[in-house]
Amino acid sequence: MASKPLFIMLCSDEHEKIQLAAMVASVAAVSDRPVQVFVTMNAILAFRRGATPAERYHGGHFHEKFMTAKVPDAIELFEHGKMLGDMKMWACSMVLDLHHWEADKDLTEGLFDGAAGLTVFLADAEEGELITI
Amino acid sequence: MAERQTIDARGAFCPGPLMELIAALKLAQIGDEIEVLSSDKGSVNDIPAWVTKVGHANVGTTEKDGYWSVVVKKAK
Repeated sequence: MASKPLFIMLCSDEHEKIQLAAMVASVAAVSDRPVQVFVTMNAILAFRRGATPAERYHGGHFHEKFMTAKVPDAIELFEHGKMLGDMKMWACSMVLDLHHWEADKDLTEGLFDGAAGLTVFLADAEEGELITI
Repeated sequence: MAERQTIDARGAFCPGPLMELIAALKLAQIGDEIEVLSSDKGSVNDIPAWVTKVGHANVGTTEKDGYWSVVVKKAK
């Protein structure tokens, strides 16, 4: 039986929460589960093109351990999920507009499938399970 | 002829060892075996569960000195 698609709304810029979203998304995608990730609010800041890990990640009790131990980088986990599974990533068009950013110019190269609105994402999510982080 | 390769993922935390295994499986031929060396106990439990879910074969898990050897056979 095909797995229900998983929809993840990532809103937080806290390292722990971005890490969790990346772990859930990538493991689900490589486990034959279609995944869509909608990145909005503060979370979009972590995906700024050219940012170093130190600029990208902060916050959460485990942040320092993530940065020093051999924990997979969250952006790389999202990339693995896309490369090895059925996973799409969307940047919230509202926050892009507010920042005067464009998905294909200002966000991590090759990671996003484009900009999307909340309405479309929520409508698509009706066919699966939605979690918000 | 089936081949066997070893991935040394010791020191890497979840889901690093699993991701390394999956990348290797993509390149392997059906029947090939891949051994993952991992010191992450979570991954040692997760890898066999993932292998069963997606339809590959668990050959076995062996505890070594401070790490585990998990052997998987590509079945599809």
